[in-house]
Amino acid sequence: MKVAVFTGWLFGMAATLATAAAYEEPLLPSRDPQERELLEGAGWVAGTAEDGPVGEVPSPEIPEKFLPAYFAERPTAFLIDPQGLLGAEDFRDRLSFLNYHASDSSIDLYVYMIGGDQEIPGQLREEEMSERFFSEGRPAAIVFYYLGAPQRSALYLSPSITDAISAVEQQRALASSVMLAFEKLDPAEQIESFLVQMSIRIYWMERMLSGAPPSTDELPMVSRRVEMRQVKELSKQTNVQSLQVMAMKYAFPAAISLVVLLLLIAVNHRLRRRVIYRFPEFEVEPRLGGTHAAGVGAVISFASAHVPPASQRDQVPDYLRRA
Amino acid sequence: MKCPRCVQRIHRAAVSCPHCGFTLADADLKFGAEEVRIGRLTDGAGILRRGERERVAAALDRVTQRFPQVFVAIYTGALGEVSHIRQFGFWLLNRSAFEDVPVDLPNEAGILITIDPESKAAGMVFGYLLDPFLEEADTFACLSRAHAYWLEGLYADGIVRLLGHLEAVLVKRSKQARKDPEYFERKVLPPPRLGELVRRIREGHRPGGERAQKTGKAVVG
Repeated sequence: MKVAVFTGWLFGMAATLATAAAYEEPLLPSRDPQERELLEGAGWVAGTAEDGPVGEVPSPEIPEKFLPAYFAERPTAFLIDPQGLLGAEDFRDRLSFLNYHASDSSIDLYVYMIGGDQEIPGQLREEEMSERFFSEGRPAAIVFYYLGAPQRSALYLSPSITDAISAVEQQRALASSVMLAFEKLDPAEQIESFLVQMSIRIYWMERMLSGAPPSTDELPMVSRRVEMRQVKELSKQTNVQSLQVMAMKYAFPAAISLVVLLLLIAVNHRLRRRVIYRFPEFEVEPRLGGTHAAGVGAVISFASAHVPPASQRDQVPDYLRRA
Repeated sequence: MKCPRCVQRIHRAAVSCPHCGFTLADADLKFGAEEVRIGRLTDGAGILRRGERERVAAALDRVTQRFPQVFVAIYTGALGEVSHIRQFGFWLLNRSAFEDVPVDLPNEAGILITIDPESKAAGMVFGYLLDPFLEEADTFACLSRAHAYWLEGLYADGIVRLLGHLEAVLVKRSKQARKDPEYFERKVLPPPRLGELVRRIREGHRPGGERAQKTGKAVVG
Protein backbone atom coordinates (compact mmCIF):
# COMPACT_ATOMS: atom_id res chain seq x y z
CA MET A 1 0.00 0.00 0.00
CA LYS A 2 2.82 2.33 1.03
CA VAL A 3 4.74 1.43 -2.14
CA ALA A 4 1.75 2.34 -4.26
CA VAL A 5 1.37 5.71 -2.55
CA PHE A 6 5.06 6.47 -2.95
CA THR A 7 4.97 5.51 -6.63
CA GLY A 8 2.00 7.80 -7.17
CA TRP A 9 3.82 10.64 -5.42
CA LEU A 10 6.85 10.11 -7.68
CA PHE A 11 4.72 10.22 -10.80
CA GLY A 12 3.03 13.40 -9.58
CA MET A 13 6.32 15.13 -8.88
CA ALA A 14 7.68 14.13 -12.28
CA ALA A 15 4.63 15.55 -14.02
CA THR A 16 4.90 18.82 -12.07
CA LEU A 17 8.57 19.22 -12.94
CA ALA A 18 7.91 18.51 -16.61
CA THR A 19 5.20 21.20 -16.65
CA ALA A 20 7.51 23.72 -14.93
CA ALA A 21 10.25 23.04 -17.46
CA ALA A 22 7.86 23.61 -20.34
CA TYR A 23 6.74 27.05 -18.99
CA GLU A 24 8.52 30.12 -20.39
CA GLU A 25 8.34 33.44 -18.51
CA PRO A 26 7.56 36.54 -20.65
CA LEU A 27 10.51 38.86 -21.17
CA LEU A 28 10.79 41.97 -19.02
CA PRO A 29 10.48 45.31 -20.88
CA SER A 30 13.85 46.66 -21.83
CA ARG A 31 14.84 50.20 -22.80
CA ASP A 32 16.60 51.09 -25.99
CA PRO A 33 20.26 51.81 -25.13
CA GLN A 34 20.27 55.06 -27.11
CA GLU A 35 17.19 56.31 -25.35
CA ARG A 36 18.72 55.35 -22.02
CA GLU A 37 21.81 57.38 -22.80
CA LEU A 38 19.76 60.39 -23.72
CA LEU A 39 17.75 60.17 -20.53
CA GLU A 40 20.81 59.67 -18.33
CA GLY A 41 22.41 62.63 -20.02
CA ALA A 42 19.44 64.74 -19.03
CA GLY A 43 19.85 63.69 -15.37
CA TRP A 44 17.57 60.70 -15.32
CA VAL A 45 18.42 58.05 -12.75
CA ALA A 46 17.09 54.53 -12.94
CA GLY A 47 14.46 53.88 -10.28
CA THR A 48 13.17 57.47 -10.17
CA ALA A 49 10.09 58.90 -11.81
CA GLU A 50 10.51 59.66 -15.46
CA ASP A 51 8.78 63.05 -15.33
CA GLY A 52 10.94 66.00 -14.71
CA PRO A 53 14.60 66.32 -14.34
CA VAL A 54 16.39 64.91 -11.33
CA GLY A 55 16.37 67.15 -8.25
CA GLU A 56 13.78 69.60 -9.64
CA VAL A 57 10.68 69.34 -7.41
CA PRO A 58 7.73 71.30 -8.86
CA SER A 59 6.68 74.15 -6.62
CA PRO A 60 3.03 74.02 -5.47
CA GLU A 61 2.79 77.80 -5.65
CA ILE A 62 2.09 79.85 -8.72
CA PRO A 63 5.44 80.87 -10.19
CA GLU A 64 6.41 84.36 -9.15
CA LYS A 65 6.71 85.61 -12.68
CA PHE A 66 2.96 85.17 -13.16
CA LEU A 67 1.90 86.78 -9.92
CA PRO A 68 1.82 90.37 -11.20
CA ALA A 69 -0.32 89.31 -14.12
CA TYR A 70 -2.69 87.72 -11.68
CA PHE A 71 -2.79 90.05 -8.76
CA ALA A 72 -1.20 93.39 -9.59
CA GLU A 73 -4.29 95.21 -10.68
CA ARG A 74 -7.95 94.84 -11.48
CA PRO A 75 -8.11 92.57 -14.48
CA THR A 76 -9.19 94.03 -17.76
CA ALA A 77 -10.56 90.74 -19.13
CA PHE A 78 -12.97 88.41 -17.46
CA LEU A 79 -10.71 85.40 -17.88
CA ILE A 80 -7.25 85.67 -16.29
CA ASP A 81 -4.92 82.94 -17.45
CA PRO A 82 -1.36 84.26 -17.66
CA GLN A 83 0.06 80.75 -17.37
CA GLY A 84 -1.76 79.68 -20.50
CA LEU A 85 -3.36 76.75 -18.73
CA LEU A 86 -6.21 76.69 -21.20
CA GLY A 87 -5.63 75.98 -24.86
CA ALA A 88 -6.04 78.92 -27.17
CA GLU A 89 -9.36 77.75 -28.46
CA ASP A 90 -10.74 76.93 -25.03
CA PHE A 91 -9.52 80.29 -23.73
CA ARG A 92 -11.29 82.07 -26.55
CA ASP A 93 -14.50 80.17 -25.98
CA ARG A 94 -14.54 80.72 -22.24
CA LEU A 95 -13.72 84.38 -22.59
CA SER A 96 -16.40 84.74 -25.16
CA PHE A 97 -18.88 83.19 -22.80
CA LEU A 98 -17.82 85.46 -19.95
CA ASN A 99 -18.16 88.49 -22.20
CA TYR A 100 -21.63 87.33 -23.16
CA HIS A 101 -22.46 86.89 -19.48
CA ALA A 102 -21.25 90.39 -18.71
CA SER A 103 -23.41 91.80 -21.47
CA ASP A 104 -26.45 89.97 -20.14
CA SER A 105 -25.94 90.31 -16.42
CA SER A 106 -25.43 93.16 -14.02
CA ILE A 107 -22.87 91.10 -12.11
CA ASP A 108 -19.64 90.44 -13.95
CA LEU A 109 -17.94 87.12 -13.62
CA TYR A 110 -14.12 87.16 -13.34
CA VAL A 111 -12.30 83.84 -13.48
CA TYR A 112 -8.72 83.34 -12.39
CA MET A 113 -7.32 80.18 -13.93
CA ILE A 114 -4.92 78.36 -11.66
CA GLY A 115 -3.31 74.97 -12.10
CA GLY A 116 -5.03 72.10 -10.41
CA ASP A 117 -2.06 71.38 -8.15
CA GLN A 118 -0.98 74.99 -7.66
CA GLU A 119 -1.34 77.18 -4.65
CA ILE A 120 -1.78 80.89 -4.38
CA PRO A 121 1.16 82.25 -2.42
CA GLY A 122 0.39 82.58 1.26
CA GLN A 123 1.03 86.32 1.39
CA LEU A 124 -1.82 86.91 -1.02
CA ARG A 125 -5.30 86.72 0.33
CA GLU A 126 -7.95 86.32 -2.31
CA GLU A 127 -10.64 87.89 -0.19
CA GLU A 128 -8.59 90.99 0.47
CA MET A 129 -7.66 91.18 -3.17
CA SER A 130 -11.32 90.96 -4.22
CA GLU A 131 -12.19 93.80 -1.89
CA ARG A 132 -9.34 95.89 -3.16
CA PHE A 133 -9.91 95.49 -6.87
CA PHE A 134 -13.66 95.11 -7.08
CA SER A 135 -14.95 97.61 -4.51
CA GLU A 136 -15.61 100.02 -7.33
CA GLY A 137 -17.36 99.64 -10.64
CA ARG A 138 -19.88 97.05 -11.56
CA PRO A 139 -20.55 94.35 -9.02
CA ALA A 140 -18.58 91.24 -9.70
CA ALA A 141 -18.26 87.61 -8.78
CA ILE A 142 -14.65 86.46 -8.65
CA VAL A 143 -13.85 82.79 -9.07
CA PHE A 144 -10.49 81.20 -8.51
CA TYR A 145 -10.76 78.11 -10.62
CA TYR A 146 -8.25 75.30 -10.34
CA LEU A 147 -8.04 73.57 -13.68
CA GLY A 148 -8.74 69.85 -13.33
CA ALA A 149 -9.63 70.29 -9.66
CA PRO A 150 -12.91 72.19 -9.61
CA GLN A 151 -13.51 71.22 -6.00
CA ARG A 152 -10.73 73.60 -4.96
CA SER A 153 -12.43 76.56 -6.56
CA ALA A 154 -13.31 79.60 -4.49
CA LEU A 155 -15.93 82.28 -5.02
CA TYR A 156 -15.80 85.84 -3.77
CA LEU A 157 -18.19 88.70 -4.36
CA SER A 158 -17.40 92.36 -4.66
CA PRO A 159 -18.14 94.30 -1.46
CA SER A 160 -21.18 96.01 -2.96
CA ILE A 161 -23.14 92.79 -3.10
CA THR A 162 -21.55 90.70 -0.37
CA ASP A 163 -24.11 91.81 2.19
CA ALA A 164 -27.07 91.14 -0.09
CA ILE A 165 -26.03 87.63 -1.07
CA SER A 166 -25.73 85.35 1.91
CA ALA A 167 -22.72 83.11 2.42
CA VAL A 168 -25.03 80.14 2.20
CA GLU A 169 -26.21 81.22 -1.21
CA GLN A 170 -22.65 81.77 -2.34
CA GLN A 171 -21.67 78.33 -1.10
CA ARG A 172 -24.66 76.83 -2.82
CA ALA A 173 -23.74 78.50 -6.10
CA LEU A 174 -20.21 77.24 -5.89
CA ALA A 175 -21.24 73.72 -4.89
CA SER A 176 -23.73 73.37 -7.72
CA SER A 177 -21.18 74.65 -10.22
CA VAL A 178 -18.56 72.21 -8.95
CA MET A 179 -21.07 69.40 -9.11
CA LEU A 180 -21.86 70.20 -12.73
CA ALA A 181 -18.17 70.41 -13.53
CA PHE A 182 -17.57 66.96 -12.12
CA GLU A 183 -20.03 65.49 -14.56
CA LYS A 184 -17.31 65.94 -17.19
CA LEU A 185 -13.91 64.28 -17.29
CA ASP A 186 -12.02 66.64 -19.54
CA PRO A 187 -10.73 69.69 -17.60
CA ALA A 188 -11.69 72.01 -20.47
CA GLU A 189 -15.23 70.64 -20.47
CA GLN A 190 -15.29 70.86 -16.69
CA ILE A 191 -14.66 74.58 -16.69
CA GLU A 192 -17.25 75.06 -19.40
CA SER A 193 -19.91 73.37 -17.29
CA PHE A 194 -18.69 75.20 -14.21
CA LEU A 195 -19.02 78.60 -15.85
CA VAL A 196 -22.42 77.91 -17.32
CA GLN A 197 -23.80 76.89 -13.96
CA MET A 198 -22.07 79.78 -12.20
CA SER A 199 -23.60 82.16 -14.70
CA ILE A 200 -27.05 80.75 -13.86
CA ARG A 201 -26.46 81.13 -10.17
CA ILE A 202 -25.34 84.70 -10.68
CA TYR A 203 -28.60 85.36 -12.46
CA TRP A 204 -30.38 84.13 -9.33
CA MET A 205 -28.22 86.42 -7.27
CA GLU A 206 -29.29 89.29 -9.48
CA ARG A 207 -32.90 88.40 -8.78
CA MET A 208 -32.20 88.39 -5.09
CA LEU A 209 -30.56 91.77 -5.38
CA SER A 210 -33.59 93.19 -7.11
CA GLY A 211 -35.73 91.86 -4.26
CA ALA A 212 -37.76 89.46 -6.38
CA PRO A 213 -37.68 85.78 -5.61
CA PRO A 214 -36.08 83.84 -8.39
CA SER A 215 -38.69 82.56 -10.77
CA THR A 216 -37.76 79.40 -12.53
CA ASP A 217 -39.93 80.37 -15.47
CA GLU A 218 -37.70 83.31 -16.34
CA LEU A 219 -34.39 81.58 -15.96
CA PRO A 220 -32.44 81.75 -19.16
CA MET A 221 -30.61 78.56 -18.38
CA VAL A 222 -31.06 76.02 -15.69
CA SER A 223 -29.03 73.25 -14.28
CA ARG A 224 -29.85 69.73 -15.23
CA ARG A 225 -31.46 68.87 -11.90
CA VAL A 226 -33.51 72.01 -11.92
CA GLU A 227 -34.35 71.32 -15.50
CA MET A 228 -35.52 67.81 -14.69
CA ARG A 229 -37.59 69.12 -11.81
CA GLN A 230 -39.03 71.78 -14.04
CA VAL A 231 -39.80 69.27 -16.73
CA LYS A 232 -41.68 67.15 -14.21
CA GLU A 233 -43.54 70.13 -12.86
CA LEU A 234 -44.27 71.35 -16.34
CA SER A 235 -45.52 67.94 -17.38
CA LYS A 236 -47.76 67.89 -14.32
CA GLN A 237 -48.99 71.36 -15.11
CA THR A 238 -49.49 70.37 -18.71
CA ASN A 239 -51.50 67.34 -17.68
CA VAL A 240 -53.65 69.40 -15.36
CA GLN A 241 -54.07 72.07 -18.00
CA SER A 242 -54.98 69.52 -20.65
CA LEU A 243 -57.53 68.02 -18.27
CA GLN A 244 -58.89 71.47 -17.57
CA VAL A 245 -59.08 72.21 -21.28
CA MET A 246 -60.80 68.89 -21.89
CA ALA A 247 -63.18 69.54 -19.01
CA MET A 248 -63.92 73.01 -20.35
CA LYS A 249 -64.43 71.58 -23.79
CA TYR A 250 -66.79 68.81 -22.79
CA ALA A 251 -68.30 70.21 -19.59
CA PHE A 252 -70.93 72.29 -21.31
CA PRO A 253 -72.15 69.60 -23.75
CA ALA A 254 -72.05 67.05 -20.93
CA ALA A 255 -74.08 69.33 -18.67
CA ILE A 256 -76.58 69.97 -21.46
CA SER A 257 -76.81 66.24 -22.18
CA LEU A 258 -77.33 65.51 -18.51
CA VAL A 259 -80.06 68.12 -18.20
CA VAL A 260 -81.76 66.83 -21.35
CA LEU A 261 -81.52 63.27 -20.08
CA LEU A 262 -83.00 64.24 -16.73
CA LEU A 263 -85.76 66.15 -18.48
CA LEU A 264 -86.52 63.17 -20.69
CA ILE A 265 -86.64 60.90 -17.64
CA ALA A 266 -88.93 63.34 -15.84
CA VAL A 267 -91.21 63.72 -18.86
CA ASN A 268 -91.27 59.98 -19.39
CA HIS A 269 -92.11 59.49 -15.73
CA ARG A 270 -94.93 62.01 -15.90
CA LEU A 271 -96.27 60.52 -19.11
CA ARG A 272 -96.18 57.07 -17.62
CA ARG A 273 -97.99 58.36 -14.58
CA ARG A 274 -100.71 59.69 -16.86
CA VAL A 275 -101.13 56.50 -18.80
CA ILE A 276 -104.50 54.94 -18.17
CA TYR A 277 -104.64 51.21 -17.64
CA ARG A 278 -107.67 49.10 -18.22
CA PHE A 279 -108.61 45.57 -17.35
CA PRO A 280 -110.68 43.22 -19.44
CA GLU A 281 -113.98 42.46 -17.76
CA PHE A 282 -114.96 38.83 -17.32
CA GLU A 283 -118.10 37.23 -16.00
CA VAL A 284 -117.38 35.97 -12.50
CA GLU A 285 -119.77 33.72 -10.68
CA PRO A 286 -120.59 35.00 -7.20
CA ARG A 287 -119.17 33.12 -4.23
CA LEU A 288 -120.23 32.71 -0.64
CA GLY A 289 -123.31 34.74 -1.34
CA GLY A 290 -121.39 37.93 -1.95
CA THR A 291 -123.06 40.04 -4.60
CA HIS A 292 -120.12 42.35 -5.26
CA ALA A 293 -116.98 40.81 -3.84
CA ALA A 294 -115.51 37.66 -2.49
CA GLY A 295 -111.83 38.31 -3.15
CA VAL A 296 -110.47 37.92 0.32
CA GLY A 297 -106.91 39.09 0.37
CA ALA A 298 -104.24 38.97 3.03
CA VAL A 299 -104.39 40.17 6.60
CA ILE A 300 -101.32 41.52 8.32
CA SER A 301 -100.63 42.23 11.95
CA PHE A 302 -98.49 45.16 12.96
CA ALA A 303 -98.75 44.64 16.69
CA SER A 304 -95.08 43.85 17.20
CA ALA A 305 -91.83 44.52 15.42
CA HIS A 306 -90.79 41.00 16.37
CA VAL A 307 -93.41 39.60 14.00
CA PRO A 308 -92.26 40.79 10.59
CA PRO A 309 -94.39 40.38 7.47
CA ALA A 310 -92.15 37.53 6.34
CA SER A 311 -93.36 35.42 9.24
CA GLN A 312 -96.99 36.16 8.38
CA ARG A 313 -96.80 35.00 4.79
CA ASP A 314 -98.46 31.62 5.29
CA GLN A 315 -101.96 32.66 6.19
CA VAL A 316 -103.62 29.49 7.33
CA PRO A 317 -106.06 29.02 10.17
CA ASP A 318 -104.53 28.45 13.57
CA TYR A 319 -105.82 24.92 13.86
CA LEU A 320 -103.89 23.98 10.71
CA ARG A 321 -100.60 25.29 12.00
CA ARG A 322 -98.05 22.87 13.40
CA ALA A 323 -97.56 22.96 17.13
CA MET B 1 -109.57 32.05 -3.15
CA LYS B 2 -110.06 31.58 0.53
CA CYS B 3 -112.89 31.56 2.95
CA PRO B 4 -112.88 34.74 5.06
CA ARG B 5 -113.73 32.74 8.16
CA CYS B 6 -111.71 29.53 8.07
CA VAL B 7 -109.07 30.81 5.58
CA GLN B 8 -109.27 27.49 3.72
CA ARG B 9 -109.09 27.30 -0.02
CA ILE B 10 -112.50 27.27 -1.66
CA HIS B 11 -113.82 26.66 -5.12
CA ARG B 12 -114.12 29.67 -7.40
CA ALA B 13 -117.90 29.39 -7.54
CA ALA B 14 -118.54 27.99 -4.08
CA VAL B 15 -121.94 28.99 -2.81
CA SER B 16 -120.71 28.39 0.69
CA CYS B 17 -117.40 27.38 2.21
CA PRO B 18 -117.14 23.59 1.87
CA HIS B 19 -115.06 23.53 5.07
CA CYS B 20 -117.01 25.73 7.48
CA GLY B 21 -120.15 26.55 5.53
CA PHE B 22 -119.56 30.29 5.71
CA THR B 23 -121.65 32.64 3.56
CA LEU B 24 -122.40 36.34 3.53
CA ALA B 25 -125.46 35.57 5.60
CA ASP B 26 -123.19 34.52 8.46
CA ALA B 27 -121.41 37.85 8.23
CA ASP B 28 -124.76 39.61 8.13
CA LEU B 29 -125.59 38.01 11.43
CA LYS B 30 -122.48 39.53 12.94
CA PHE B 31 -122.40 42.95 11.30
CA GLY B 32 -125.93 43.54 10.07
CA ALA B 33 -127.79 42.81 6.87
CA GLU B 34 -128.63 46.37 5.93
CA GLU B 35 -126.76 48.56 3.49
CA VAL B 36 -124.16 50.81 5.02
CA ARG B 37 -123.48 54.24 3.61
CA ILE B 38 -119.88 55.29 4.06
CA GLY B 39 -117.30 57.46 2.36
CA ARG B 40 -114.47 56.19 0.30
CA LEU B 41 -112.17 57.22 3.11
CA THR B 42 -113.83 56.46 6.39
CA ASP B 43 -111.58 57.06 9.36
CA GLY B 44 -113.77 55.58 12.05
CA ALA B 45 -110.82 55.10 14.37
CA GLY B 46 -109.63 58.69 13.94
CA ILE B 47 -106.09 57.79 13.13
CA LEU B 48 -105.65 60.30 10.31
CA ARG B 49 -105.14 64.01 10.81
CA ARG B 50 -106.50 66.64 8.45
CA GLY B 51 -103.41 66.98 6.30
CA GLU B 52 -102.96 63.25 6.27
CA ARG B 53 -106.50 62.68 5.14
CA GLU B 54 -105.89 64.96 2.17
CA ARG B 55 -102.71 63.11 1.28
CA VAL B 56 -104.46 59.77 1.46
CA ALA B 57 -107.45 61.07 -0.53
CA ALA B 58 -105.08 62.34 -3.22
CA ALA B 59 -103.43 58.92 -3.38
CA LEU B 60 -106.84 57.29 -3.73
CA ASP B 61 -107.74 59.71 -6.53
CA ARG B 62 -104.53 58.90 -8.32
CA VAL B 63 -105.40 55.20 -8.39
CA THR B 64 -108.77 55.95 -9.95
CA GLN B 65 -107.16 58.30 -12.50
CA ARG B 66 -104.74 55.63 -13.66
CA PHE B 67 -107.26 52.79 -13.43
CA PRO B 68 -110.64 54.32 -14.27
CA GLN B 69 -112.42 51.00 -13.73
CA VAL B 70 -111.16 50.70 -10.17
CA PHE B 71 -111.54 52.55 -6.89
CA VAL B 72 -109.93 52.04 -3.53
CA ALA B 73 -111.69 52.60 -0.24
CA ILE B 74 -110.24 52.71 3.23
CA TYR B 75 -112.00 51.99 6.45
CA THR B 76 -110.43 52.33 9.87
CA GLY B 77 -112.16 51.21 13.03
CA ALA B 78 -111.97 48.95 16.04
CA LEU B 79 -113.25 45.53 15.08
CA GLY B 80 -112.51 43.46 18.13
CA GLU B 81 -110.89 40.15 17.38
CA VAL B 82 -108.35 39.98 14.61
CA SER B 83 -109.99 37.02 13.01
CA HIS B 84 -113.07 39.13 12.23
CA ILE B 85 -111.20 41.53 9.98
CA ARG B 86 -111.49 39.26 6.91
CA GLN B 87 -115.15 38.66 7.47
CA PHE B 88 -115.73 42.34 8.13
CA GLY B 89 -113.95 43.40 4.95
CA PHE B 90 -115.87 40.83 2.93
CA TRP B 91 -119.14 41.95 4.46
CA LEU B 92 -118.42 45.70 4.13
CA LEU B 93 -117.52 45.59 0.45
CA ASN B 94 -120.75 43.69 -0.24
CA ARG B 95 -123.05 45.74 1.98
CA SER B 96 -121.71 49.26 1.72
CA ALA B 97 -122.71 52.07 -0.58
CA PHE B 98 -119.78 54.45 -1.11
CA GLU B 99 -121.23 57.90 -1.24
CA ASP B 100 -118.34 59.67 -2.93
CA VAL B 101 -117.61 57.01 -5.53
CA PRO B 102 -119.04 57.62 -9.01
CA VAL B 103 -122.15 55.70 -9.75
CA ASP B 104 -120.59 54.00 -12.73
CA LEU B 105 -118.11 52.31 -10.41
CA PRO B 106 -119.87 49.45 -8.67
CA ASN B 107 -118.44 47.71 -5.65
CA GLU B 108 -117.25 44.94 -7.96
CA ALA B 109 -114.51 47.40 -8.99
CA GLY B 110 -113.57 48.21 -5.43
CA ILE B 111 -110.57 47.41 -3.31
CA LEU B 112 -111.22 47.84 0.38
CA ILE B 113 -108.47 48.27 2.90
CA THR B 114 -109.53 47.76 6.47
CA ILE B 115 -107.32 48.93 9.30
CA ASP B 116 -107.97 48.15 12.93
CA PRO B 117 -105.61 50.24 15.07
CA GLU B 118 -106.85 48.57 18.24
CA SER B 119 -105.99 45.02 17.38
CA LYS B 120 -103.24 46.35 15.07
CA ALA B 121 -104.29 44.39 12.04
CA ALA B 122 -105.14 45.31 8.48
CA GLY B 123 -106.66 43.41 5.59
CA MET B 124 -107.60 43.82 1.95
CA VAL B 125 -110.54 42.56 -0.04
CA PHE B 126 -111.42 43.21 -3.65
CA GLY B 127 -114.43 42.99 -5.92
CA TYR B 128 -115.17 40.52 -8.66
CA LEU B 129 -113.74 42.79 -11.37
CA LEU B 130 -110.26 42.26 -9.97
CA ASP B 131 -110.80 38.62 -9.05
CA PRO B 132 -108.78 37.30 -12.02
CA PHE B 133 -105.99 39.81 -11.60
CA LEU B 134 -105.24 40.07 -7.91
CA GLU B 135 -104.04 37.27 -5.72
CA GLU B 136 -103.58 36.96 -2.04
CA ALA B 137 -99.82 37.30 -2.49
CA ASP B 138 -100.30 40.66 -4.20
CA THR B 139 -102.36 42.02 -1.36
CA PHE B 140 -99.87 40.64 1.13
CA ALA B 141 -97.04 42.45 -0.66
CA CYS B 142 -99.01 45.70 -0.55
CA LEU B 143 -99.73 45.38 3.15
CA SER B 144 -96.10 44.48 3.83
CA ARG B 145 -95.02 47.82 2.38
CA ALA B 146 -97.04 49.61 5.01
CA HIS B 147 -96.03 47.40 7.91
CA ALA B 148 -92.99 49.40 9.02
CA TYR B 149 -94.95 52.67 9.00
CA TRP B 150 -97.91 51.29 10.84
CA LEU B 151 -95.61 49.85 13.49
CA GLU B 152 -94.56 53.43 14.19
CA GLY B 153 -98.13 54.70 14.09
CA LEU B 154 -97.57 56.47 10.75
CA TYR B 155 -100.83 55.33 9.24
CA ALA B 156 -101.06 57.86 6.43
CA ASP B 157 -97.51 57.18 5.29
CA GLY B 158 -98.19 53.47 5.36
CA ILE B 159 -101.36 53.85 3.33
CA VAL B 160 -99.66 56.02 0.70
CA ARG B 161 -96.84 53.50 0.46
CA LEU B 162 -99.35 50.66 0.17
CA LEU B 163 -101.24 52.45 -2.59
CA GLY B 164 -98.02 53.11 -4.46
CA HIS B 165 -97.21 49.42 -4.52
CA LEU B 166 -100.80 48.57 -5.40
CA GLU B 167 -100.53 50.84 -8.45
CA ALA B 168 -97.40 49.01 -9.54
CA VAL B 169 -99.12 45.64 -9.16
CA LEU B 170 -102.16 46.81 -11.09
CA VAL B 171 -99.98 48.23 -13.89
CA LYS B 172 -98.23 44.89 -14.17
CA ARG B 173 -101.45 42.93 -14.19
CA SER B 174 -103.04 45.25 -16.71
CA LYS B 175 -100.12 44.79 -19.09
CA GLN B 176 -100.21 41.04 -18.62
CA ALA B 177 -103.96 40.99 -19.25
CA ARG B 178 -103.52 42.99 -22.44
CA LYS B 179 -100.94 40.49 -23.69
CA ASP B 180 -102.75 37.33 -22.66
CA PRO B 181 -106.37 37.95 -21.67
CA GLU B 182 -107.25 34.26 -22.07
CA TYR B 183 -104.96 33.36 -19.20
CA PHE B 184 -106.95 35.54 -16.84
CA GLU B 185 -110.27 34.51 -18.34
CA ARG B 186 -109.49 30.88 -17.67
CA LYS B 187 -109.04 31.72 -14.00
CA VAL B 188 -112.66 32.77 -13.66
CA LEU B 189 -114.37 30.41 -16.08
CA PRO B 190 -117.22 28.52 -14.46
CA PRO B 191 -116.17 25.02 -13.45
CA PRO B 192 -117.27 22.26 -15.86
CA ARG B 193 -120.39 20.46 -14.87
CA LEU B 194 -120.02 16.93 -13.56
CA GLY B 195 -121.48 15.29 -16.67
CA GLU B 196 -119.18 17.32 -18.88
CA LEU B 197 -116.20 16.33 -16.77
CA VAL B 198 -117.02 12.64 -17.04
CA ARG B 199 -117.48 12.94 -20.77
CA ARG B 200 -114.06 14.55 -21.18
CA ILE B 201 -112.38 11.90 -19.08
CA ARG B 202 -113.96 9.12 -21.12
CA GLU B 203 -112.96 10.81 -24.36
CA GLY B 204 -109.43 11.12 -23.13
CA HIS B 205 -109.20 7.41 -22.31
CA ARG B 206 -110.75 6.22 -25.55
CA PRO B 207 -108.26 4.89 -28.15
CA GLY B 208 -107.85 7.49 -30.87
CA GLY B 209 -109.38 10.09 -28.64
CA GLU B 210 -108.50 13.76 -28.59
CA ARG B 211 -105.70 13.40 -26.04
CA ALA B 212 -104.20 10.34 -27.72
CA GLN B 213 -104.15 12.15 -31.04
CA LYS B 214 -102.38 15.13 -29.49
CA THR B 215 -99.72 13.18 -27.64
CA GLY B 216 -99.38 10.35 -30.15
CA LYS B 217 -99.23 7.79 -27.35
CA ALA B 218 -101.23 4.58 -27.09
CA VAL B 219 -103.88 4.91 -24.43
CA VAL B 220 -105.33 1.94 -22.63
CA GLY B 221 -109.13 1.96 -23.00
